[in-house]
Amino acid sequence: MGYVLIFKQLYGGETMNRFEYFAPTTLKEAVDILNEKGEKALILNGGTDIIVRMRDCSLEADYLVDIKKISELDKISFENGRVMIGATVLLNDLGLHPIIQKKYPFLAQAALSVGSKQVRNRATCVGNICNASPLADTATPLLSLNAKVHVFSAEGERTILLSDFFVFVRKTLLKHGEIVTGVSFEESDVLGIFTKTSRRKEVDLSTVCSTVIKQADVYTISCGAVAPTPIRLDQTEAFLNGKILTKDLIEEACEMASKEVKPISDLRATESYRREMVKVMLRNSLLEWL
Amino acid sequence: MKFVGKSVKRVDGIKKVTGALKYVDDIKLSRMLYASVKRSPHAHAKIVKIDIDKALALKGVKDVITGEHFEKRGGLYLEDKNFLAVGKARYRGEAVVAIAAISEEIAQHALKLIEVEYEVLPAVTNAKEGMKPGSPLVHPDLGDYKWVPVFFPKPGSNISNHYTLRKGNASEAFETADYTVENKFYVPHVQHAPIEPHTAIAQMDLDGSCTIWASCQSPYAVRQALSEAFDIPLNKLRVLSPAVGGGFGSKAGTTLEGILVPLAKRNPGRPIKLTYSREDEFQNAYVRQGLHATIKTGVNKDGKIIAVQNEFIWDGGAYNEYGVNIAKAAGYASAGPYDIENVWTDSYCVYTNHPVGGPYRGFGMCEIHFGIEQNLDIIAEKLGITPVDIRRINGMKPGGTTGTGEVVSQSGLQECLEQVSIDIKLNEKSKPSGPKKVRGKGIACGWKAPSMPNNAASSAVIKLNEDGSAHLLVSAQDIGQGSDTVMTQIAAEVLSISPEKITIKTGDTDHTPYEWQTVASRITYSAGRAVVEAAKDAKDQLLELSQIKLGIYKRDLELKDGYVVSKIYPDKKVAIADLAIGLNFDDGSAIHGPIIGRGSFIPPNIRNADKKTGLGDHPVVFWTYGVQGVEVEVDLETGQTKVLTVASCFDVGKVMNPQLLEGQIEGAIVQGMGTALFEELMLKDGKVLNPSFVDYKIPTADDMPEMIIKFVENPEETGPFGARGVAEPAMVPSAPAIANAIYNATGIRLNTMPLTAEKVLTAIKEKQNND
Amino acid sequence: MKVIINFTLNGEEIEYAVDTHITLLQMIREDFDLTGAKEGCGAGECGACTIIMDGRAVNACLVLAVEANGCEITTIEGLAVNGVLDPLQVSFIENAALQCGYCTPGMIMTAKVLLNDNPNPTVEEIKEGISGNLCRCTGYKKIIEAIQFVAENNNA
Repeated sequence: MGYVLIFKQLYGGETMNRFEYFAPTTLKEAVDILNEKGEKALILNGGTDIIVRMRDCSLEADYLVDIKKISELDKISFENGRVMIGATVLLNDLGLHPIIQKKYPFLAQAALSVGSKQVRNRATCVGNICNASPLADTATPLLSLNAKVHVFSAEGERTILLSDFFVFVRKTLLKHGEIVTGVSFEESDVLGIFTKTSRRKEVDLSTVCSTVIKQADVYTISCGAVAPTPIRLDQTEAFLNGKILTKDLIEEACEMASKEVKPISDLRATESYRREMVKVMLRNSLLEWL
Repeated sequence: MKFVGKSVKRVDGIKKVTGALKYVDDIKLSRMLYASVKRSPHAHAKIVKIDIDKALALKGVKDVITGEHFEKRGGLYLEDKNFLAVGKARYRGEAVVAIAAISEEIAQHALKLIEVEYEVLPAVTNAKEGMKPGSPLVHPDLGDYKWVPVFFPKPGSNISNHYTLRKGNASEAFETADYTVENKFYVPHVQHAPIEPHTAIAQMDLDGSCTIWASCQSPYAVRQALSEAFDIPLNKLRVLSPAVGGGFGSKAGTTLEGILVPLAKRNPGRPIKLTYSREDEFQNAYVRQGLHATIKTGVNKDGKIIAVQNEFIWDGGAYNEYGVNIAKAAGYASAGPYDIENVWTDSYCVYTNHPVGGPYRGFGMCEIHFGIEQNLDIIAEKLGITPVDIRRINGMKPGGTTGTGEVVSQSGLQECLEQVSIDIKLNEKSKPSGPKKVRGKGIACGWKAPSMPNNAASSAVIKLNEDGSAHLLVSAQDIGQGSDTVMTQIAAEVLSISPEKITIKTGDTDHTPYEWQTVASRITYSAGRAVVEAAKDAKDQLLELSQIKLGIYKRDLELKDGYVVSKIYPDKKVAIADLAIGLNFDDGSAIHGPIIGRGSFIPPNIRNADKKTGLGDHPVVFWTYGVQGVEVEVDLETGQTKVLTVASCFDVGKVMNPQLLEGQIEGAIVQGMGTALFEELMLKDGKVLNPSFVDYKIPTADDMPEMIIKFVENPEETGPFGARGVAEPAMVPSAPAIANAIYNATGIRLNTMPLTAEKVLTAIKEKQNND
Repeated sequence: MKVIINFTLNGEEIEYAVDTHITLLQMIREDFDLTGAKEGCGAGECGACTIIMDGRAVNACLVLAVEANGCEITTIEGLAVNGVLDPLQVSFIENAALQCGYCTPGMIMTAKVLLNDNPNPTVEEIKEGISGNLCRCTGYKKIIEAIQFVAENNNA
């Protein structure tokens, strides 16, 4: 997905530039338009991010390809041992889905923590992932679930491991002409905890977010807002795997985790606060399973 | 009483819940043009050259103006500002060029075609630094400006006002005090964040008349300012304020209206609209000034404070035309609601290259009380007495003396203190919700007087209609506080007709009579009095005519439910409908004509204080006192504070409308909580880093605490039915009460706002390391 | 670039040619003069533009007008039917749940959907449910009470 960065207008002007709008009903149609129109053709999904950026002129598109009319993308399916979240599934629908709430409550929680209710009635989980913000709330549960991103293009279909998918701040492996059709993970019986630390309880970006999953004595730990992309804490995971949890072990793991992450200081928090929060959040998660 | 003191429903309720009320941005006028504004990217810069040709050439652009159209400086108390920058830009975001075009889109696109050449100047980004000799000067020509003589700017410096209060002999008293304590506090800039951004429309016609629609708190102030700035006679200048979506002071005075006037003049017959975006709102509307405060207190072992020395340095931003009065108001209130014999205060309003400081709910009180109320708790602990006791000992009582030497005949502070202690169960500790959490309780007092010119006036007109209904005309602006309803209640009470029979009209300088401003928590008091006078005037005329009609002396007549009735023979009556446009006689003749009630009011006897000492025996019309108590829970791992409960008690003199008054207090508490926990305009080198709701967080419903709202009624002698104002006082104790509660919970004292999770956690860890 | 869209607006079927770069909020306010929905921030943070789209509360400032094609849109102006106020509207007035009124249309629309989906919400659910609607005047307490009032009376 390519875009041209226009110098950001100083004060939010109410001007999106003019563009042509398409609402294809099949993936092939969508991909054809993207390829035909080139780099200034962008995908429109929930729109809650793209419209804001177009309004303040940090993003410009000559064509918008709305994928919401492609019917197969709006489903959450449980087939072949995998849970598949379609590209246009809304965050509210994901968060309130009875099976997700029952089996993967941490994912449901993460989905319901994004923005406000109104935003979640338009924004999508896949959109949240594709924006590749370092603090994307749905990223950490999916990373911890070893999720895969499903991509459709003129060349066919491919899957990318989510942990490979994120390249940098707002940058993914997605190429122009590719559409993410969904994100999937293996059905499993796991224990998981999602935690979000923010300045204000509701409707806020994460200062730090994390998902810790335990399956037997294997742990997957993902954190957001502590690196240029949401990340897995491979080192800390390796340290914990196979071991029985004790208070001391947990402390050691937390100390390690706080050093493994690479947060920055910005106007939401300092680096040291973020490191401290990683410790606190991981500790509280692991203590649940002591 | 039938209507005053009752929870009469909002008279503007239906219009608001149906979306029918038109706010200024909702107004569409024929041939309307849209304005956009090009702003300075520099905090301090000389404007060298402006190239507008390319913008003018864009199809759809009708006009482009720059500072050369604004020769006259203006300002409420000190004339230091222009609507577009003249000569230099003094803050990042200052309006430099304005464009009028046939659509908003074109107006915004045209901005990109304007080229401005700047010569960047060193910027003043700290008020304390700005006071030092050798600092760059924001207003080098300060000496040429005009100002109201109760303010004391220092030309050749960045000090726009130096207020001094010298009561008794503080330095001597300090020598005798058992303890002397000095503390420093810092309050950053915050913004009002009304949900409706500023908007205005201006239209001029070839007959010289000018009409302004503005979301403003004070249409008459806008009229005055624009009349002076552009030499438009007052009878040719009409300002309408059809609705205001929240003000909190940000829409007081004038902000963007004047940008449009030259555009309107040069495009006669075409209305021109300018609406601020939310980003504009954070940077280019008024903001609350920042404060660096140093409070030194001399106290005796028995708990009596015998001396206080204050230094307030206000970061007033680029223009201090309004802010100079905030420095003054804070100065004369600097002792807090306490009876202290010796007070020495220096309150400086300082120019910086920051966004423009202006009136914000509290007008300096919230900021200084953050320091005063924490300071008191610090002293109390040092003395080994409770926060309540130190306030019992020093808090104002009837007959006490304020910091300016005014003897107050009444003060409900002590009653409020007792009530809040009970309601917040101050001496009980409640169980935290988790193992890593702690709870604490804190209280704070507050006071405020309306900070306004001594001659700030109100007026009202009542017209009776032939069917017994009435129109009430005032220019008090309902900005949400419910003045439309309360004014209606007052008129209804005096005239003894139901509020449904009275239609209130406001906000039109051509049709509704003079009101100084809707600010300062003065409307219930001042406009309320004017309405009482107008209703009495109408009543008097009704009684006069009834005397003739009924043959009964005026003194034996009264108004009751739409009739003039004899007090002695209740069946002898005449409907006011039958008198509304005159008294008719059986022979066919008639006298008097339409009954028009007229009321004017200026608060009595407000006298100037001494210029040097600040002492005055009646420098303000009234003081409103109140107390809030807060319970918080602090998470020791994250530093996050949750405000669980707030108990509030204010002495309002008379509760005019219980439901609306509660709503005001509830809103104030939550707004105060916002400033305490989340809100800060993050400034770096004059740039606002967080000019949006993404990173400037205000409380949501989920942050709301439990609230226990009570009132005390010690009548205000000159107030309508004994009422005094409380809109701003309601917010004053909120933030310091939270700070005191956090101390009670954790033992940590934070002297800067906001009390963010990170600050709290850092302090907790430091304390743990030191212990 | 204009596109023809077909949608239902407050119960009325509309066919309309709209520019692609216009938001739903801009269209309903400027082209249909339904100014109840307000622009408080233009970025989906304040909720003053909340309307109901296919049964869901959404920020109209984050929807392109063209995306309304095929949808059912209800604004505050469509809430009162035949001049009869919606119970929420009545309750807001009775319970003094509004002051300046600017956030009120969006707040009521959010509350409407909240009660449609959850006729018996707890106070916590109400607080969370309206946390996408910022109010600076009321402190939210009476808004929550007004919504509770309708819920309780519906269930009576």
